[in-house]
Amino acid sequence: MVSLQRLVVMASGKLKLPASVSILALFGFVLLSLQLMSTATQESSALSELYSWLLVINTLGSIILLALVAFNAYSLVRELRKKEAGSRLTLRMISLFVLLALAPAATVFYFSVQFLHRGIDSWFNVEIDRAMDDALELSQSALAQRMNWHIKQTRQIAERLEGKSETLMALELGAITIETGAIEAAVFSGRGHILASSSINPADILPNLPDEQVWLQLKQNKQYFAFDPGEDDEMLVRVILPIERNQNRFLQMFYPIPARMTDLADSIEFAFIRYQEMTFLRNSLKTSFSLLLLLVLLLSLFAAIWIAFISIRAIVAPVRELVKGTQAVAEGDYRRQLPVMTQDDLGFLVESFNQMTRRIARASEETRAAGLEVENQRAYLETILANLTAGVISFDADCRIRTANQAAYRILRIPVSHFVGENLASLAHTHGELDDVLTAIQRLLEQADDIWEQRIVFLGNNGRQELLCRGTPLFSQHGERTGAVVVFDDVTDLIQAQKNAAWGEVARRLAHEIKNPLTPIQLSAERLQHKLSKELPESSQEFLAKATRTIVQQVEAMKRMVDDFSEYARPSKRQVEKLNLIDLIQQVTALYPPSDVNFRFNVASHHVIVEADPVSIRQVLHNLIKNAQEASVGQPCCIDIKVAKAVRNNNDYNNADYVEFSVYDNGSGLNGEQIETIFEPYVTSKAKGTGLGLAIVKKIVEEHGGAIWADTSYNAGAGFVIQLPVFEFGTDE
Amino acid sequence: MPDCAKPLSAWFWVSLLLVFLAWAGRAHGENYQARIIDVQARTNGTSLSIGASLDYRLSPTAREAVLKGIPLTWHVDVQLRKPGLLWDTIVFRQILPVRLKFHALLNQYEVLTPQGQEEMFLTLNAAIHYMSSLHDWVRIDNSLLTDDLVLALKIRFNREKLPVPLRPFSYLDAQWFLSSDWLSWPLAN
Repeated sequence: MVSLQRLVVMASGKLKLPASVSILALFGFVLLSLQLMSTATQESSALSELYSWLLVINTLGSIILLALVAFNAYSLVRELRKKEAGSRLTLRMISLFVLLALAPAATVFYFSVQFLHRGIDSWFNVEIDRAMDDALELSQSALAQRMNWHIKQTRQIAERLEGKSETLMALELGAITIETGAIEAAVFSGRGHILASSSINPADILPNLPDEQVWLQLKQNKQYFAFDPGEDDEMLVRVILPIERNQNRFLQMFYPIPARMTDLADSIEFAFIRYQEMTFLRNSLKTSFSLLLLLVLLLSLFAAIWIAFISIRAIVAPVRELVKGTQAVAEGDYRRQLPVMTQDDLGFLVESFNQMTRRIARASEETRAAGLEVENQRAYLETILANLTAGVISFDADCRIRTANQAAYRILRIPVSHFVGENLASLAHTHGELDDVLTAIQRLLEQADDIWEQRIVFLGNNGRQELLCRGTPLFSQHGERTGAVVVFDDVTDLIQAQKNAAWGEVARRLAHEIKNPLTPIQLSAERLQHKLSKELPESSQEFLAKATRTIVQQVEAMKRMVDDFSEYARPSKRQVEKLNLIDLIQQVTALYPPSDVNFRFNVASHHVIVEADPVSIRQVLHNLIKNAQEASVGQPCCIDIKVAKAVRNNNDYNNADYVEFSVYDNGSGLNGEQIETIFEPYVTSKAKGTGLGLAIVKKIVEEHGGAIWADTSYNAGAGFVIQLPVFEFGTDE
Repeated sequence: MPDCAKPLSAWFWVSLLLVFLAWAGRAHGENYQARIIDVQARTNGTSLSIGASLDYRLSPTAREAVLKGIPLTWHVDVQLRKPGLLWDTIVFRQILPVRLKFHALLNQYEVLTPQGQEEMFLTLNAAIHYMSSLHDWVRIDNSLLTDDLVLALKIRFNREKLPVPLRPFSYLDAQWFLSSDWLSWPLAN
């Protein structure tokens, strides 16, 4: 692309004439035109005839140059309005140039006009005017005196010829011509017929007869005298007088004026006429030369301004490209390369700009790649963090939440990431069930200056939960605290599993260590009864029977207890099948007569299919119902059973994957301590209970992938909530 | 559209028109144009002789210029045209130069005729009167003549013969509008 631009520039450069040639040609044309005009102002010049045309040509040239300047100025104004690159620099340079060119030119023009006018005025003054008039009058007087003398001379000749015949006249005219120094003498009649003539030039056969104008004046004035032009700029005095009074014959004499006198008179007349002409043209001269000077000024100035436009545009062109390139870089285009038009300083600047953009482009590419790598790493870390089973929440220096992963939502069951910018105290305010754990973490965050670890037990909506929290304060390079990270994990199941395992081991050992001796103990006691009852006195027999019965009963009780433990510790051998949970619940509850237990159902659907072992689920229901019956001693037992869709694992309601059935009784209920340990073995409030019923229930539920907890929000008795994975949850429509 | 590209306002053009009309009216009001009074055409068997009565009128400026020794030159343009659809074809053309000049030394006016003769006159009126008659100086061969021809005359004042400083202004000043209009009529008349 860049090479293509260069190619275009080179091609256009070849097609166009260099600016310097155009400028030289224009200046040459302007100078030639002005020189021709200057020459044409001289009257003697051959170009004088072309003065008007040259004036028109120069005026047109000025107008064309003015139009070019105006067009360039208009283009510049448009560029300025569009805020095009380099336009302001062009305007500044053009303004400076015009100012620098116009100021001296206008000054020179003003003073030139002033000098010109004063110079022209100095040509004229009263003395010269009077001297010219006097000189002309002197010449005219001299000529008039000469004329008068020749008139008198002619009159004497006319008197001498009066009354003579034409023949005598012809004879005398020759002598008269020689005597008077005339060049021609002639006598003609009143009708213009030549009667006699004489000339000093033998070639002149016919005399020069008067024309109509002369005849007219002759008839009016009875005489005629005038200066006539002769040959070779010679001046003649022509005198015509009547010979007789009846004017039938006229004498015409041509007298020459001396050459010296003619030359002097011509010189004086030429000077006088020239002076008069200049006087007449005085104002015209001033105006004409002023206009000429103005034309020269305008032609030169417009040409200079136009050339300034061309030159400055050529100078500014690289700057314009640089500005465009800079704008492109500012907009993020680091690949912009500018054409190098000249090899001067600006060309060097453009080349440097190109190098700079290349480096910036390279650096930008590297930065972008590095940023991409960092982004990938961040995304990778976020993915890892999001998929961690442990909840991670980061805090800023003011213990406000910055980030939280998906596991935090899963463990705490609140969208922690929606509370970015808030502290845990405000979170606890809106989620009361988490008040204990959030307050504890907040306190640890504020107080701990080092890594801390703590187990926090709290009673959430899903029952008792135990979190293992680890906090790490974060510090900047300068040692300032910038925040903290808290990692926590729900270890409730783990702890419970450990407890279950421990209790299983205890049960297994009990079964092994205790159950085996029980049978011999029972048999031995029965044998003692059988052997000694006949040998002992009657009073002792009764005591023996009573003791033996007590031993057997206790052994039986211990056997049941051991069986229960065996049952609790025995690995599950479930036969899982798809069954309708609602049908199963109704089958179990049907076994209890309404007189003993009053069941109330609140079922969202009658078609709830679960994959479970029906025997185990029956046992769960029986245990819960028995517990309710035992807790309701002395009053009618009422049990509410609710079945509804449950949402776990952050699914939405439509994709609910659990069924939740709850059992609520109207018994004595559970206190806080019982709630925490109710599902542990050997925890019971009953006199005869083994404390394994709810532990087994919990075990069965967890073996089915579900969960059970005591509903702490229920205060009218005890309430247990069981969630099981559902295979199909129908709708009752 | 930029402001500078807007057309000039109507007021500007109206003002320009008024100035032009005033200038034209001034030129028309002080009319010193030469006039062609009469034209005579006589045939003598072989050629057509053209005579005319002309009226040269000098403006005060022109009259002063003559007195200051500036020669004035007119060209009497005689044409024989053949009318065409778009333009006329010039069949015959003759230009007769006439020059009027003042001789300060002799205090006389000189008229230089088309034949190159210098005629001297004591008064300006006499000189102009002499110039006013076209003395059969134009002769057109009969072979060129047809009935559809048009004879056209014009007295053209030659400004280019004026002194150089006066020439530009003579094209602008009505005092120097000394030429006549074209006068033409069918030769058949």
